[in-house]
Amino acid sequence: MTSQPTTPTTTATDDVVRVEDLQVNFYTQLGVVRALNGVSFNIPRGKVLGIVGESGCGKSITGMSIMQLVASVGKTEGGKILFNESAGGNPINILDYERNSPEMRKIRGNNISMIFQEPMSSLNPCYTISDQIEEAIRLHQTEDKVESRKRAIEVLTKVGMPNPDRIADSFPHELSGGMRQRAMIAMALSCTPTLLIADEPTTALDVTTEANILDLMRELQSEIGTSIMFITHNMGVVAQMCDEVAVMYLGRVVERATVDDIFYEPRHPYTIALLQSIPRLGRTKGILASIEGSVPDPYSRVTGCPFHPRCPVAIKGVCDTILPEETIVDAAKGHTVRCHLYS
Amino acid sequence: MLNYIARRLINMIVLLVAISFIGFFIIQLPPGSFLDVELQRLRSLGGDVSRDQIKALELRYGINDPFLVKYWKWVERSSRGDFGTSYMTDQSVGERIWGRLSVSLGLSLFALLFTWLISIPIGVYSATHRYTIPDYVVTLIQFIGLAVPGFLLALILLIFATRYFNQQVGGINSSEFMDQPMSVAKFIDMVNHIWIAVVVLAFGATAGLTRVMRANLLDVLNMQYIQTARAKGLDEAVVIWKHAVRNAIHPLVMSLGTLLPALIVGETLVAQVLSLPTIGPMYLDALRAEDMYLAGTILVMLSGLLLIGNLLADLLLAWVDPRVRLE
Amino acid sequence: MAVDATQLPHTTATHVEDVGQIPQWQLMVRRFRKSKLSVGGMYVLIVMYVIMLFSDFLAPYEHNRLDSNYAWGPPSQIAIVDGKLSTFALKQTLDTERLQWLYVVDTDRPLPIQFFVQGYEYRFLGIFPSKLHFYGVEEGYQVNLLGADKDGKDVLSRLLKGSQISLTLGFVGVVISVIIGSIVGTASGYFGGSIDNMIQRVIELLRSFPDIPLFLSLAAALPQNAPVEIRFFMITMIIAVIGWTGLAREVRGKVMSYRNADYTAASVAAGGSHWHIITRHLIPNSLSHIIVVGTLAIPAAIGSETALSFLGLGILPPAVSWGVMVRDAQTIEAITTYPWMLLPVLVLIITVLSFYLLGDGIRDAVDPYA
Repeated sequence: MTSQPTTPTTTATDDVVRVEDLQVNFYTQLGVVRALNGVSFNIPRGKVLGIVGESGCGKSITGMSIMQLVASVGKTEGGKILFNESAGGNPINILDYERNSPEMRKIRGNNISMIFQEPMSSLNPCYTISDQIEEAIRLHQTEDKVESRKRAIEVLTKVGMPNPDRIADSFPHELSGGMRQRAMIAMALSCTPTLLIADEPTTALDVTTEANILDLMRELQSEIGTSIMFITHNMGVVAQMCDEVAVMYLGRVVERATVDDIFYEPRHPYTIALLQSIPRLGRTKGILASIEGSVPDPYSRVTGCPFHPRCPVAIKGVCDTILPEETIVDAAKGHTVRCHLYS
Repeated sequence: MLNYIARRLINMIVLLVAISFIGFFIIQLPPGSFLDVELQRLRSLGGDVSRDQIKALELRYGINDPFLVKYWKWVERSSRGDFGTSYMTDQSVGERIWGRLSVSLGLSLFALLFTWLISIPIGVYSATHRYTIPDYVVTLIQFIGLAVPGFLLALILLIFATRYFNQQVGGINSSEFMDQPMSVAKFIDMVNHIWIAVVVLAFGATAGLTRVMRANLLDVLNMQYIQTARAKGLDEAVVIWKHAVRNAIHPLVMSLGTLLPALIVGETLVAQVLSLPTIGPMYLDALRAEDMYLAGTILVMLSGLLLIGNLLADLLLAWVDPRVRLE
Repeated sequence: MAVDATQLPHTTATHVEDVGQIPQWQLMVRRFRKSKLSVGGMYVLIVMYVIMLFSDFLAPYEHNRLDSNYAWGPPSQIAIVDGKLSTFALKQTLDTERLQWLYVVDTDRPLPIQFFVQGYEYRFLGIFPSKLHFYGVEEGYQVNLLGADKDGKDVLSRLLKGSQISLTLGFVGVVISVIIGSIVGTASGYFGGSIDNMIQRVIELLRSFPDIPLFLSLAAALPQNAPVEIRFFMITMIIAVIGWTGLAREVRGKVMSYRNADYTAASVAAGGSHWHIITRHLIPNSLSHIIVVGTLAIPAAIGSETALSFLGLGILPPAVSWGVMVRDAQTIEAITTYPWMLLPVLVLIITVLSFYLLGDGIRDAVDPYA
């Protein structure tokens, strides 16, 4: 379903967001955590980019950085996040704005919005659903109470809420997880943003609900034309949702390709390992592959390629000393990889 | 909702009965009786008390009745609104308690208001500016507030007030206003007298509450819905005050029920130092004099106040937090 | 890069094997050390308790030794006379106008301070009889480093003696209440059902009493003329009886949540006995929480003892605790004219403050998200 021919991403003006060499460090009581070590990728307009990786690889931090919502112990120490509201427009560097500046706040919720992982806790328990949706609408679109209410109901209808009038006046605890996530999506889409960042929006949901929500997002995406940055660790969800994929490991993008290339022509040993560790129906024999070792301690720093301690094909003397650069393996499809095997 | 309140009220009555029984039992525990104390006093004044007189007194006060009989007499009379006559002063217990309790209540409500007005903004500031110099200063002051006993603070303020403001302190009114009806002048005079008590009472409670507020807010600030609110593009101040504080205030509301009675009785030491006519010293005197009807009534009344306070706190909580409403 | 790699805790790739394997307790210790105030509080308390152990040895006089020649005596002046550390005799006169004792230091009569002198008999650590004291002056005179009270009793000696009660009473009371609270709370949370229901009703009843009046009534019921050890024990029990309910509720909550955790279910599925589950899973998980609550309850208990003694319902003279001493410092006269009478209050504040700081640091270390 996702095999629509993707145009190569060489034309930079077509990107909604272009992240260049983003570096974020966390200064914690126990030391410095290098959360992002130079992340670069782009989100083409109108497309769904999947960001994949294990827990702790920095995928959520990347999403938060675009919103400038990283906790204050996290410091952005370099790089650019270029946001381009409309095709052919002038990109602005989001990092030029202060976190709580009026400019940044105007972007948040209006041009870029976000959905979080935990539908149970991402809505404020003290306010009704429509209170919370209308808050965003009144902030960015219209001050009028009647109008904002009307729009809230509209957007709730759009996300397939049965009985939107009644749901609007419910409190979050009165709704199921799937309903809450729909409400979150409604809130995120209420101002028709250019970019939607979805941080594992279905991880906490059961499989049936997950499928429904993914369908809904796909549908709304093609209808509204919003670009989506879809953060997940689930390769199955990637196959269902995304047009392009960036694989992250320890704060770096290690491979970037179209969704077909990721599944059929993966290059980076980490991507290959990730794909091998997906259980498949019908394959009952043999042991499910797993990746040796675990993600290193966040406070430590691995020299060379960050994946080399776990890499089955690491080259001694090369991989453990030199950090691989980003290499283009297929320029036409925009397939790049960070691995010494291809440089 | 009404159903809920009704159930709570019934539960309260059951608890009050149990409390009165246990409370009365504890209070009559000390060996000897009020009469012994009284006889000692009379003898020390040089009076001679005859055996018949003692008999009469014993009979009048029911000194030799078994515990259950004493308890029943007390309950039975109390339920008619007659709280008995204090051994100590021959005054009606009800009258004496109400007079004092109203002073205590007024004082405590003032202190409570003060506490909330100070601890919420400071707690919020401290939480949102964590690990900054002001946060450390606030934290240190809080700890000192917890550690410095109220009576000492009262004494210091007392010295301060007499030395620098040339104020007559202690009590709640100057002698010239003592028996006058309430007037503006009397009110001002009263404020002049009770501000020390209010500050002292509020100080310790504020220290604790600021700490709670800070911790709660820090918890809430880690919640996902705070990020949701920020992601909408709300101003940080709106995020904090509209979305975070409303959720963080939850335990503060719950503590309301316990804080009020605690303040009312917590002033016992402070009242001692400032010679305030409140319930604490009265309770203490009643205990010392083994005046069990008076002490028992005060104990049950305070327990009742605690229960009512808890109920009010729960109702307030239901109003603040919709999640509680379902119960 | 703003941060040099060498500043990071582990910087080499050779550490890969042990990364992510720092034991939990070591992380706690690390986090605790970060909080300077709490570490400071801990050291202060260690010093105080060590001094308490040696209090009889350090105290020059028996805490009730009267000497009318030193009534309201000021802190002794110390100087070096003829190469010896000395204090001086005092000349006492009565200010008949203000009815105050006046003291003049008699510099012609130096009293060399003697070390390791014989004095009143005590039992070191409660076991070994001894008469040895750290310092003193010649018989017939007194050295009051921190002044004397209205009867000429040495304030320092009283402070030291008082620490034996004040530093242990609250502590022991809290330990007992923690034990009761943990057992009852664990039972209530683990077994649930009617046991839980019954225990909760009892706790609800106990908590419906405002605790200070309850405290006062129980204390008032104590026999007036009982020996100090009995009174000590009873006040400890009162603290424990009033204090355990809160902890029991918290432990119950924790145990209930851990009981529903997957690892407990796994243990049940693997055939773990109640005892195994409680001791292996529930208690270790709740332990840090129990320690935190306990540490923070100690200063409150110390405060309770002080308040009781202050009101004349706690420790009674001739025994001495800091609360008893504070009782002597409650008048404006004492504070303004004899400021050294406030020293017990100061010591008390420092102790309570240290406990709060310590408890707070432990809480942050144990549960960084709370």
